[in-house]
Amino acid sequence: MWKEIGKRESGELRPSLFCSRIRSSRAASLQLSNHKEIVSAHRGSVNSLQVDLTEGRYLLSGGADASVAVYDIQNSTHCEERGLVAKHKSIFVIDKQHEHGHKYAISSAIWYPIDTGLFVTGSYDHYINVWDTNTTQVVMNFKTPGKVYRTAMSSLATSHMLIAAGTEDVQVRLCDIASGAFAHTLSGHRDGVMSVEWSTSSEWVLLTGGSDGAIRFWDIRRAGCFSVLDQSNSQLGRRPPFLDHSAMNKASTSKSSAAGQSSSVKARGLQRKAANGNGSKQSTIGRVRSQVKGSMKPRLHPGLLSSQDRATAHYGAVIGLKMTGDGMYLLSAGSDSRLRLWDIESGCNTLVNFETVRLQTTKPLQLSLTQDSALVFVPCMATAKAFDVWSGKTRLTLRGHYENMNCCWFNAQDQDALSRKGQAALDEDNWSD
Amino acid sequence: MENPASGPGAWSSSSRKRRERDEQEETPPDTDATGHSLSLEENFTFSDTLVALRIMRAQFPRIDKVSVRPFILRSQLYSSVDDRTQVDRELESLRREKVLRIFKLNTGQDDHAIMFVDDYLNQIERISKRMEGKKQYDVAVLEWFKIHVISSKLDPSIGHEELCTLLSMGGKVKDDHITLLINAGLLTRQLIDPTMYWFTIPNIGSVLKGLSQGRKELLSFLNRRKYKEMMLAPLERKCLRLSPMDMRFHLRDLIGSGHLKTAKTPSGLLVRVVKE
Repeated sequence: MWKEIGKRESGELRPSLFCSRIRSSRAASLQLSNHKEIVSAHRGSVNSLQVDLTEGRYLLSGGADASVAVYDIQNSTHCEERGLVAKHKSIFVIDKQHEHGHKYAISSAIWYPIDTGLFVTGSYDHYINVWDTNTTQVVMNFKTPGKVYRTAMSSLATSHMLIAAGTEDVQVRLCDIASGAFAHTLSGHRDGVMSVEWSTSSEWVLLTGGSDGAIRFWDIRRAGCFSVLDQSNSQLGRRPPFLDHSAMNKASTSKSSAAGQSSSVKARGLQRKAANGNGSKQSTIGRVRSQVKGSMKPRLHPGLLSSQDRATAHYGAVIGLKMTGDGMYLLSAGSDSRLRLWDIESGCNTLVNFETVRLQTTKPLQLSLTQDSALVFVPCMATAKAFDVWSGKTRLTLRGHYENMNCCWFNAQDQDALSRKGQAALDEDNWSD
Repeated sequence: MENPASGPGAWSSSSRKRRERDEQEETPPDTDATGHSLSLEENFTFSDTLVALRIMRAQFPRIDKVSVRPFILRSQLYSSVDDRTQVDRELESLRREKVLRIFKLNTGQDDHAIMFVDDYLNQIERISKRMEGKKQYDVAVLEWFKIHVISSKLDPSIGHEELCTLLSMGGKVKDDHITLLINAGLLTRQLIDPTMYWFTIPNIGSVLKGLSQGRKELLSFLNRRKYKEMMLAPLERKCLRLSPMDMRFHLRDLIGSGHLKTAKTPSGLLVRVVKE
């Protein structure tokens, strides 16, 4: 590190390059921290972690005993062991005794992306609550027809305040805080939706991963999803091939020739998918889709044609999704114990093989990426593994928990990674270098 | 159950190098005609996927009761070539060039079998000869399958509509024809989706049963040992009772799928059960 500082001083290294080198070397040397400890206020497993996006100071965690706790991770509450270990106790805890608290396990707790005045929790008791942080009161709640697996709010949104909720029900619901009602319902999945993420490049695009193994892209301004990722659509490298229309077109022409001979709705769905595939290749996600219609009379609303598309991204359920910061790649974790990296522009699987042996299959996982998207942290049973995103090799294996890990979060400001265990956690582990 | 080779037996062929393809002439019991060593320890990793595929195809054990052409499991490739991403990408490009086909197996969540296209067509030939003898069904559909479906559909699965469309390029398609294909073992219905089919390798049922039983037997054998590990050299010489395939096949498969791992020791490679 001193060499880097010397080079920066003499001007050989530019400031941004210097920053990124320091960050990546810190991320590459993560270990279990022995000077910082967060005392968990939960009595069951912890299902969700998030550090707020504005300051990077407050950690929100939701547990399986229906409790929510907020911790200050920058200033410790007291020190022990002769001042060597800084302990962080929770600032407040909301549990079942609270009059509007959740009754069953909380599966997802997220901060309001604009500031830390509000946070949203989704629970297995079918409710999504919006809480005011300062008064710890419920401001608004939404009732969904099934257990809530995941909630997400877009950090880029300037014109909407929608909470996307993935539940056991096949429809994804968008809840509006401004009006207190459900704004949209997105249908297309054939089984519960375990993971929901907003796009990092557009405030209108939502990604959902379902228990049927499909990953769908929705533009919330239109009906229906505009893209379904198919694991057999693959490309051999990081970037979509330049002039290689042959691979895409071979797939789409064979499907559309099949469609030309039969007149069922399913074939129209295939052709629509082919048209969408070509359309999304030429336009970026933020712009309006090119409306390439099929030559047949549309019997169904065009937005619903994609519900006929049964491509799967994983052989099991999709349990975790994470989009890279630049909005170009998507990492998805499936209960078939595979992690896949998708190129969003072309909708193809980049065939990077991540060496995962087993991933837990019943609960959703929380993946986390470093800021420059070079490492992805995945909780694999009792360890958290950090994989190199582009080559798939395991860079770090972080062991420290006694039970299975559910979620992890990489704090980009301090290059700390926090992880949370399953059952009966006594303290949360904090990893830093 | 035979005892693992004791001290003198293990030291007898002393030139065991670690993990490099070694062309030295030596006299362990398993050498092929040219005298090159075929033991797993010598030929553990390869540089290229196609080379690995060809060598593993040549090493496929002969099974007497069923006639099945050689196939390679994907996990075997992962244990044989260092970079898994490279394996995936090379398999994908070979599949697109129609050199080989990938089939999804039902013995586990992510098991895939890779077979060269020539072997697969050969297998279909055998099936059609066997069915012609029975004279009950209309075997022309097998020809249509071979000509139209296999050459154009390279994925491991196919939908009902597309299958009918492609088969009808050969002639009029009836539901009986699809039943014939399923009975011949070339297609299977998908459990989650009744309109999709997986392509399968015919005559492979008993081999797959042997595969899963062999895996369990090998893992339980290693788990019963005191430290759940064993040296690779004596382990390789043991025979599995329940599986028609040899030990080398199963070892490569389990190491590639992550259930076993190898460690280098001064006296050779050690195989250990992964505990997490």
